[in-house]
Amino acid sequence: MAAVGHYALLFIGAALINNILLTRFIALCSFFGISNNMHTAIGMSAAVVFVMMMASTTTWIVWKVLLVPLGVGEFLYIPAFILIIAALVQFVEMYLRKSSPVLYRAMGIYLPLITTNCAVLAAATEVAKPGFFKMNMAYGYSLGEGLVYTLGVAVGYGFALIAFTALRERLDIAPVPKALKGNPMSFITAGLLSLAYVGLAGWFGL
Amino acid sequence: MLLSVLKAVGALALLGVVSAALLSVAARRFHVEVDPRVEAVASALPGANCGACGNPSCFAVAEGIVAGTLPVNACVAGGPSVADSVASLMGQDTCEFVAVVTARHCGGGTRAQRSYEYSGVRSCGSANRMAGGPLVCASGCLGFGDCVRACPFDALHLDARGLPVVDLAKCTGCGICVRECPRGQIGLLEMLPDRAPVVVRCNAHTRAKERKAACSACCIACRKCERECPAGAISMVDLLAVVDYEKCTGCGVCVEVCPQQCIDLYGRPDGKPVAGADGAGKDVAGFAAARSTVRDASDVEEPAEA
Repeated sequence: MAAVGHYALLFIGAALINNILLTRFIALCSFFGISNNMHTAIGMSAAVVFVMMMASTTTWIVWKVLLVPLGVGEFLYIPAFILIIAALVQFVEMYLRKSSPVLYRAMGIYLPLITTNCAVLAAATEVAKPGFFKMNMAYGYSLGEGLVYTLGVAVGYGFALIAFTALRERLDIAPVPKALKGNPMSFITAGLLSLAYVGLAGWFGL
Repeated sequence: MLLSVLKAVGALALLGVVSAALLSVAARRFHVEVDPRVEAVASALPGANCGACGNPSCFAVAEGIVAGTLPVNACVAGGPSVADSVASLMGQDTCEFVAVVTARHCGGGTRAQRSYEYSGVRSCGSANRMAGGPLVCASGCLGFGDCVRACPFDALHLDARGLPVVDLAKCTGCGICVRECPRGQIGLLEMLPDRAPVVVRCNAHTRAKERKAACSACCIACRKCERECPAGAISMVDLLAVVDYEKCTGCGVCVEVCPQQCIDLYGRPDGKPVAGADGAGKDVAGFAAARSTVRDASDVEEPAEA
């Protein structure tokens, strides 16, 4: 029971309280870039969940097996993880194209975008080398904990992106003053949305 | 010091070599043969991804055409020229293609009575949801231009009457406006063959008296056009004049006799819109002359001389 509570807290902490977009301000480029249309936002969110889980698993293994035993992890983790994530995403793209054309068509166009998505690197780093987000449970994650944490980050990303897209779609037909039309209004909306999330800070000591 | 540098270089090199090996194996293993014709057909299609044909993208249509699951004239918006070039890429003869265009069955605009003052979001969809829309007429054009914004080909524009006018030279017949219009499914906008010579500017089916109270531009079901039409192409369906385009010869008599000026000239018989089409004036004589010079004798009958 305690274990379930522990995992639930880990998930909630990653998804809501330390939301990667609205509290940590990571991956904002995609937050503004692909929030014009609900269809693409949902596709991107699904693709991020998928890629993030795979990336965190791989980087966790490389960290434990290669970087820590060699004693080079402390300064080499960022280039190593970037290398791994880039190669992994390309591999996934090829694999999907061959094995599941339907999924490829739905997700394929987002995969190259995700290669450069900092949220993936942030989650992978946090799983291998906790403490970056200064959460109280900062210690070495087990693989299971790492995956729950990553799922939380990805779901939080998708949740924030879809909520923001819904707001932007409504704002598109609303009578917004001319000077604020487009990006200015989006920035104001994102700021207010972020303000709402900041209200969650510190819950459960997370 | 030197040892940790060597370790770092070694670790990164190892990761790099392993990922490179993995990717090159994957590139072999998961190689997908792409039919070069797909690219060729895709580049012949308009590429607007309008979705009028019911497929998610132009590329999907190209794949379907090459795979044989879609006909070469699958692209609705591209018209006969695209169908022809796709057909020649696929090694087939040119194909029959009936072009369609959008027609608006409403002449109300500023002449339609309002039941209340609407001050919400300037969109037809939003206005239509508020107590059935601000117009007394439940079939009339709301005039906030959802169709204008939806048109990917810039073929619709609101005119001074507050009605969307179709630019027949640009309309590709994709049908997006009909789907976007909140009243499109009940007959306000309709896809017509692009040779349709006239269009009735009303689609209300209420009683004529109610209709007249709601709008001064409506069809009053006087049956004059039905009596006068030399080809017998107009009939009354639910108190509304309806044109049978199989029989219509484009003589323009109905346009002249309609006391409500509720029937407009329309169409682009030779691919170009005729002068005076879509309510831009009622030059019936010039219109009929333009039509008779381009009419394919096998296509429609000659109008009876009145």
